[in-house]
Amino acid sequence: MNERSRYLKGAFVAIPSLFMLAMLVVPALGGLGASFNHRGPSLENYSALVHDPMFWRAALDNLILPIASLALELAAGLGLALMLTARGKRSAVVEVAAILPFAIPEIVILTIARYLLMPRGYVNGALEAFGMHGAAWLSPRGSLAMLSVAVVDAWHVTPIVMLMLIAGLQTIPQELYEAARLDGAGTLATFRHVTLPMLAPAIVGATVLRGIDALRIFSTVLVLTGAEAVPVLSTYAYGQWTDAQAPRVAMAAAMVLAMVVTIFALAGTLAVRRWASQPGASQ
Amino acid sequence: MSAPVRSDRIERPLAVMRIALSAAVIAAAVVPLYLLAKQALTPELETFAWPPAWLPRDLTLRNFAAVFAVGELRGAIVRSLCVGAISAAGATVLGAMLAYAMARGGAAQRVGFAAVSGVRLLPMIAVAIPAGIMLASLGLYDTPGALGLAVIHCAIAIPTAALTLYAAFAAVPREIEEAAWLDGASPVRVFFAIDLPIVRGALSAAFVLCFILSWDEFGFALLLQQTNRTLPPLLYYYTVFGNVGPASALALLMMIPAVCVVIALGPAMRTAMVTGSSR
Repeated sequence: MNERSRYLKGAFVAIPSLFMLAMLVVPALGGLGASFNHRGPSLENYSALVHDPMFWRAALDNLILPIASLALELAAGLGLALMLTARGKRSAVVEVAAILPFAIPEIVILTIARYLLMPRGYVNGALEAFGMHGAAWLSPRGSLAMLSVAVVDAWHVTPIVMLMLIAGLQTIPQELYEAARLDGAGTLATFRHVTLPMLAPAIVGATVLRGIDALRIFSTVLVLTGAEAVPVLSTYAYGQWTDAQAPRVAMAAAMVLAMVVTIFALAGTLAVRRWASQPGASQ
Repeated sequence: MSAPVRSDRIERPLAVMRIALSAAVIAAAVVPLYLLAKQALTPELETFAWPPAWLPRDLTLRNFAAVFAVGELRGAIVRSLCVGAISAAGATVLGAMLAYAMARGGAAQRVGFAAVSGVRLLPMIAVAIPAGIMLASLGLYDTPGALGLAVIHCAIAIPTAALTLYAAFAAVPREIEEAAWLDGASPVRVFFAIDLPIVRGALSAAFVLCFILSWDEFGFALLLQQTNRTLPPLLYYYTVFGNVGPASALALLMMIPAVCVVIALGPAMRTAMVTGSSR
């Protein structure tokens, strides 16, 4: 390693980093500045947020919705991961089918979901064909809209969770299963005392990575229900920007979201580190 | 479950569950796509039938003809292709630089990983609104060529490219580089003549992933190209404000690149998609 190669390395880090800084971070900092500006430096924009009931609904939904969709993704992802790694039972068709929803562009998934869930859509059609009543899946007034959004979001991203958990399952040494078998542990006991604890780091990792995305949820809500039915912070900010023509309030809301994501990511990173360093963890 | 299973009492319900789950997985992937294809291939009136028609009655290509006849739609396809190609090319070049420096360790690795993970935390909405203002001052906001959007897509794709390429650069044996240095080759020359040819497979993977990232991206496209739209926001407007037939046809066309990649390129690409999955 010589002197000149160190210059090259420095330049190779600096050029892309500065480009990202200029195109993404500098605008975000500009937005931060704007959020504290209302004819001069002020907290006016944040006070507008605090006094808007819609903002509080958005903040609350921005908490419930990620939790709901994460829970669905983890449950479905774990089930699929276990199924696809079962010995001797692998099926390429099921594998491709399980990954397919993630390969489909998000906006296409949302387009399909709208046609499925609209009042005279396929889901209600199927329900009525079986003699049941259809439901107003996406109606702004019902409580169903939140569930619909969570399910559609989970449908799209469960494949990623599944792939992360499959990677985690593959690090579990076979000897542990042998030992559990020799101890006379059944399927459920083996799952509870071997698979689940050994998989914990992967589950925590997937929760953190997916949680960051889930907190920033935007398109699913906007396309399925519009900006108002299930408001989240991103769509609230979008509404303030486009409909209310209040860019600075929009930026204040966006900064609140950025802060929430950052805090979650920092806490998540610490959790991942702690989990990975515990005795009995797979790495 | 990879554990050898003993008791039949548990094994049999598990086997039934497995079959049911497999069927559900296939149905969840296939049925919605079938319905979309059906809508794209049947006259629009049929789509509004109640109860909904599960099988197509009249097949037509009129919706696809409409997609290519309407200037707005044709323009969006061309624009999306250009934005995807420009941003993916830029992100692959910049991502390769970053990945190379990161793979050679030291402070570069720490700075690189910090930059890549930090950037991925920024919420789209917190960047897009002020970025729109910045692009407007540069005369790049909502232009027909969508160069502003391409630049932003390039920036958000750099982490994806860098993480995809990192392992490839790390796998290049250091001895080859050192031998070239001893022969008097400059570091820049070593990078171009030795490292790049070795990682060219990963370079194309990074390009494809970045292209798909841009092709699928909705938020920035919606905010930065409000009138000269790319495909995702245009599809959004068609879906939300009517025109079921062309919207379905457009949605079907939009799936082609990504679905080809997943089916054709196999497990390696799927792993790479996970690495680069964050939006």
